[in-house]
Amino acid sequence: MTNRERVQAVLSFEKPDDRLPMIEWASWWDKTIRAWQEQGLSRELPWHEIAPTLGLDQHIQYWLPHRGPGCPGPKFNGGPIMEDEESYEAILPFLYPEHGPDGQLEDMRRRKAEHDAGAYPIWFSLDGGFWFPRTLFGIEGHLYSFYDYPELYHRILDDLADYQLRQMERIYEILTPDFMTFGEDMSYNNGPMLSEACFDEFLLPYYKKVVPFIREHGTKVIVDTDGDVTKMIPWLRRAGIEGVLPLERQAGVDLPALREAYPDFLFIGAFDKMTMRRDAEAMRGEFERLLPVMKTGGFIPSVDHQTPPDVPLERYRVYVAMLEEYASRAVRE
Amino acid sequence: MNTELLNEISENLQRGKAKVVKELVQKAVDEGIEPDAILKEGLLSGMNVIGEKFKTNEVYVPEVLVAARAMNMGVGVLKPLLAEAGVKAEGKVCIGTVQGDLHDIGKNLVKLMFEGKGLEVVDLGTDVSPDTFVQTAIEQNCQIIACSALLTTTMGVMEEVVKKAEEAGIRDKVKIMIGGAPVDEAYCKKIGADVYTPDAASAADAAVELCRSLKAAG
Repeated sequence: MTNRERVQAVLSFEKPDDRLPMIEWASWWDKTIRAWQEQGLSRELPWHEIAPTLGLDQHIQYWLPHRGPGCPGPKFNGGPIMEDEESYEAILPFLYPEHGPDGQLEDMRRRKAEHDAGAYPIWFSLDGGFWFPRTLFGIEGHLYSFYDYPELYHRILDDLADYQLRQMERIYEILTPDFMTFGEDMSYNNGPMLSEACFDEFLLPYYKKVVPFIREHGTKVIVDTDGDVTKMIPWLRRAGIEGVLPLERQAGVDLPALREAYPDFLFIGAFDKMTMRRDAEAMRGEFERLLPVMKTGGFIPSVDHQTPPDVPLERYRVYVAMLEEYASRAVRE
Repeated sequence: MNTELLNEISENLQRGKAKVVKELVQKAVDEGIEPDAILKEGLLSGMNVIGEKFKTNEVYVPEVLVAARAMNMGVGVLKPLLAEAGVKAEGKVCIGTVQGDLHDIGKNLVKLMFEGKGLEVVDLGTDVSPDTFVQTAIEQNCQIIACSALLTTTMGVMEEVVKKAEEAGIRDKVKIMIGGAPVDEAYCKKIGADVYTPDAASAADAAVELCRSLKAAG
């Protein structure tokens, strides 16, 4: 099977002929790659060739830009670039750049033939209704904004949805991505960062505006939210979301329990990165924990949020070999 | 004492009504209620309710933030009066996100919860070196150093903080608390820190207990 066929099969709850996909959905920390270069990984490798060199399947991701050139940046990490209606008006000319994705669309055109031939799955990412306003209000201001500027919040999400719908129309004129993610990060190690009422008031209308368009085109809709997403899954399902990643074990996410509760929901990630810091035995134990879910379909196992930089390259190679072993067992057994 | 008014302060604080809380606190002062009583039975009791609800996921981060903002508005009115009356904080904590780590939502939440329990907090911000934690604890007479980390790549700095505190000879006077996504109880024990808590509200409970036990030990 081709890389793309495997991904499509798993995301449709069908068994690939040979094995599950083997991807690193979030790529690697630059620190991790630098450490591995010290340990023998070629420094000449272009980024997109790292995956196949390490024995993983290639996949292509596009993250659509939501801010154009000249847009003011935050004065400090996580800081605001606007505060209220007036300052939103001031930065509006820099937001939602109609030609911002032109380069990515051009790249999609170039890759279309290879994508059609199955060389790799393509996915795209959008700033979601929690994430995008956070990049405007700043991390702290954003959390206040639900109470301080509710009307403005709704306006921002209306503008965001309109922009994304326009850009996605352009994507679908070229090709059909296999899945997409809303970058959100709206959960943390103790669960959701906002209440269900807040989700329903602000995010649900946004998702209801954007998600049906994507699903109509056959692209699987997944939310990317770190931390413990358990409590939030029913909310996401009401919004038409079809799956989540990365399912961080360290935050307490119990994938087998989630699979039991949601037999038709898609999952990507879930492999506890902390086991990679220990040894092969710990990693095998982690694969054994995930194997029953791997067999159910609808799940692509992958590191639950980037390989830590202190994992030696040799141990990562052991991880990849084990991933291949279990990816095969999941379809054979 | 007008307990109805104190309850009103507490309830408005829980709803995050900062302006109302400020007005009600002023009204309570004008009615002659002791500042200490307004603080403890109006503001801190409201923040306690929020803390408990936060632990059980009945309220979430935005609700904690707006409640804490309301509390701070009320405390602003009381501060000079509390100082005049010689009311002291439950204890003093220096808190920060460890060196190499710029994530501060968790740290800020813990800070707010500490303040909601009546602790005085020295906020060192993010990317804080072990030396800064220890020097601040010494210079500002803090009973607790509270370290936060989000990244697996930075959690190791917490061990350095413990070592620096040992080298500085303050481990009998200063307790070290840790928290954040990549750490747990086992890690806390491994590095020789004193307390790990899984969430901000529990951290505040634990900090108050630590300050009381240190006080009791003299």
